[in-house]
Amino acid sequence: MNDDSSADTVLIVIDRPPYGDWHGREALDMALSLAAFDRPVAVLFRGEGVHWLRPGQNASVIDQKTVSRNLSAATLFGVEALYADRSTLARFQIGETEPDVTPIVVDPDFYHRFKKVVQL
Amino acid sequence: MNDTAMPALHLLNKAPSHPRFQACLAAMDPADQLLLLENAVIALVDKTASLPAGTRALASDCEARGLSDKVAASALTDMADMVELTDQFTKIISW
Repeated sequence: MNDDSSADTVLIVIDRPPYGDWHGREALDMALSLAAFDRPVAVLFRGEGVHWLRPGQNASVIDQKTVSRNLSAATLFGVEALYADRSTLARFQIGETEPDVTPIVVDPDFYHRFKKVVQL
Repeated sequence: MNDTAMPALHLLNKAPSHPRFQACLAAMDPADQLLLLENAVIALVDKTASLPAGTRALASDCEARGLSDKVAASALTDMADMVELTDQFTKIISW
């Protein structure tokens, strides 16, 4: 059996772009809640969800809060790691991310390592 | 002039993965105008998306998502321009 240290980590997947609907925010809230109860949890951004990671967002112009601030807090609140899908980062031409949000870039099949995967 | 020949303004707020995104592109005629709103603006930086020439996008939705410097200035449309567009086209389709 290989080292599956991520055996009981819950992986929350965000694959919808920010601001268009509330699914992503609810998924992040779920991750923060799990972390608050000391459950190991990580978040993977893939598909159109990688737009959460784009730098220079300014959602005040559409009367919303910029999501990247929530992300930088996530690891402080106990979320183990933020992951980002290599292929969709390339598809949407996202080179660098917000300064204090440094996701670990992974391959598309990365989520198979986890026993519990949640997508809203 | 029957309705099908009349040029239309297409208002699209769906992300590229949403089925209605492709449905909108498929329904467009050369004389039509496409305006991207909300989630649809991410198509402007999607290598796999092929948008008609002259596609425009709402500037505030682009700025919110950090896309303002990724979009041709001519494509960026403010609210007043959008209202102007809805005035120019008799036929308007919201997707």
